[in-house]
Amino acid sequence: MATYEPVFSALGLKEWCESGAESASGPTSLADLIARNTGTDVPAPSIWELPFPSMDQLHEACPAFPQSRALTKGIENGFLDIKDGLSLVLDPLTQPLSWFLEGSLWVFEAIPWWIMIPVLLVIVMLVSRSRPLVVFVAVCLLGMAFIDYYSFAAQTLAVIFVCALLCVVLGVPIGIAMSRSDRLQRAIIPVLDMLQTLPAFVYLIPLIFLFSVTEPKLYGIAIILYAIVPVVRLTDLGIRLVDKDVIEAADAFGMTDRQKLVKVQIPLALPNIMAGVNQTIMMSLSMVVIASLVSAPGLGVLVLRGIRNLELGVGLVSGLGIVILAVILDRTTKLALARINAGQNQ
Amino acid sequence: MSARTDEPETKIGIRNLYKIFGPDPQRALKAVKDDGLGKPELLEQTGHVLGLQDINVDVKAGGITVIMGLSGSGKSTLIRHVNRLIDPTAGEIIYNGSDILRCGAEELRKIRREQMSMVFQKFALLPHRTVAENAAMALEVRGIARSEYIPEAEKWLDRVGLHGYGESYPHQLSGGMQQRVGIARALTSNAEIMLMDEAYSALDPLIRTDMQDLLLELQKELQKTILFITHDLDEALKLADHLVILKDGAIVQQDEPQTILLEPSDPYIVDFVSDINRARVLRVRTVMDRSTDTGDMSIAGEIDQEDNLESVIAMAEGDTRKTYLVKDGDRKVGVLRMETLIKSLVPTEASDDGDRVR
Repeated sequence: MATYEPVFSALGLKEWCESGAESASGPTSLADLIARNTGTDVPAPSIWELPFPSMDQLHEACPAFPQSRALTKGIENGFLDIKDGLSLVLDPLTQPLSWFLEGSLWVFEAIPWWIMIPVLLVIVMLVSRSRPLVVFVAVCLLGMAFIDYYSFAAQTLAVIFVCALLCVVLGVPIGIAMSRSDRLQRAIIPVLDMLQTLPAFVYLIPLIFLFSVTEPKLYGIAIILYAIVPVVRLTDLGIRLVDKDVIEAADAFGMTDRQKLVKVQIPLALPNIMAGVNQTIMMSLSMVVIASLVSAPGLGVLVLRGIRNLELGVGLVSGLGIVILAVILDRTTKLALARINAGQNQ
Repeated sequence: MSARTDEPETKIGIRNLYKIFGPDPQRALKAVKDDGLGKPELLEQTGHVLGLQDINVDVKAGGITVIMGLSGSGKSTLIRHVNRLIDPTAGEIIYNGSDILRCGAEELRKIRREQMSMVFQKFALLPHRTVAENAAMALEVRGIARSEYIPEAEKWLDRVGLHGYGESYPHQLSGGMQQRVGIARALTSNAEIMLMDEAYSALDPLIRTDMQDLLLELQKELQKTILFITHDLDEALKLADHLVILKDGAIVQQDEPQTILLEPSDPYIVDFVSDINRARVLRVRTVMDRSTDTGDMSIAGEIDQEDNLESVIAMAEGDTRKTYLVKDGDRKVGVLRMETLIKSLVPTEASDDGDRVR
């Protein structure tokens, strides 16, 4: 006996309800089964046990009313319906991402370690200008190579390199556009909020439907969507925070908008933009681990193996490897940031 | 105010300028013009702020026009209208015979690049560029090559006393030196007009005096048209060829500083000038007798008509019985009795009728 049946009767919808009785008979609920087996009727409900009039409850009272799983099913069907059209557009658009990732992975694998490690050290030196950091990075990389984790770490770096670069290439212009239009800012901020708060796994679900799991762009898109947020936000913020007096001076001396952007706004916003780049790199690293669920290569695969096969040692060591990569990337970009800050502190 | 014949041409003419801040300035403007609402009434009735009200100023070529007012009087708003960092609600700004407010974006940019330069209260230098690059900003914006603009900037940096600082960054300099860079930047642009928005207000008093002297010295040589904003009456009286006093967005009085001091037209200005060391501001020519007939007077010495009274008192060693012959170069122009001088130092009472007709 369903609680809300009298409501439908009172509204004169009894016939409509019964018309749906045959067509929409969902699976029997556990409560129904128990009631049937014990042969006892459900006692008349007291007000304390009044269930919330949810879709399932209403369905029970009136079979023509849809169950809540019809909603999720509907969304799924809707997505599947537009999926073909969507992937027709998105596939060619995102194809370059696959090429970049494949290329980058190939480069990191093809270059032998005795070239790659020195090159990475030189890059760290140029960016950070800090000898102790270079020594630290050298020790870490050689240590990882020694325990046979170098190729996995190199794959992870290859993926982060491409994704973080694309985040900056796409994110900085979006941030600049946002800083120039309040309306655009109002439109984009909720999207950024959503991208930032959506659990990382949820990104993967629609992407799995859209693209084949074997394609690198699947995890590339997931990483970029997740990691692009800070660089966009901080570019926007950085440009908006540029001293109004300096902007006024630029106007007073007749700078065009373009000159103002290139000569004043971007250089003065650079500390904030770099802070965004640092965050973006760290977030790509965290996402590349999760993306190993959808075939992203690298240390994440080993973590996943540790979980799947209960290989405690592999899981812990590869987890530690990720921490080391994170420390290397963070220190290097932070030192670059500190150098920029030192250049313009007033 | 009628223009005197011996005065130089008007470089910038500000005509009936109004600025109203708020959501519907045009409607508020109507209320001000037709119903004669004042600043407080307008704010209460419509929620609009009356920034500037019926401003008429002639900025003469080759002189320093000082606009003085307390904070909130609209003086910074006014100076930003001249190069259109702010657009007015109504009015005209005539520069070289045409209305700046009708300029297109391109034309306006050209004026800002080549004919007007600006010095800011908070210096507004680019922190990531060297002092020389900052000074050369106007030239760089015009697209002049670095090899040309750096020497030009260095030249002006030398001129304002910053020789050898070209390679430094602004944050390595003290406040006074940063503002010298600001002035060098304005001079390097080689614009005929300099807008100075409270340029010295952020500096401490001794440095401020130095900078005022520097400006007067440069001005003697360069003869720029300068519009100078300040809230400091001493500074205004020291620098001004023409002084405009602003209160609540409207002009209270404008004239030569000496005249304002001797004939303040408004209790507001009397209040202002009462704290002033009159002997330092008033000049001999303002208080002398314009008869060159020395008669039987015993002349104690000769003084220049541009000397201030303080220096004359010092020369007379405080003796009130002496009389001096006043000269303009070699020409005798009048005599100054010390008695007259002492009388002129008595503060003027405000006339009962505030709006004195001129």
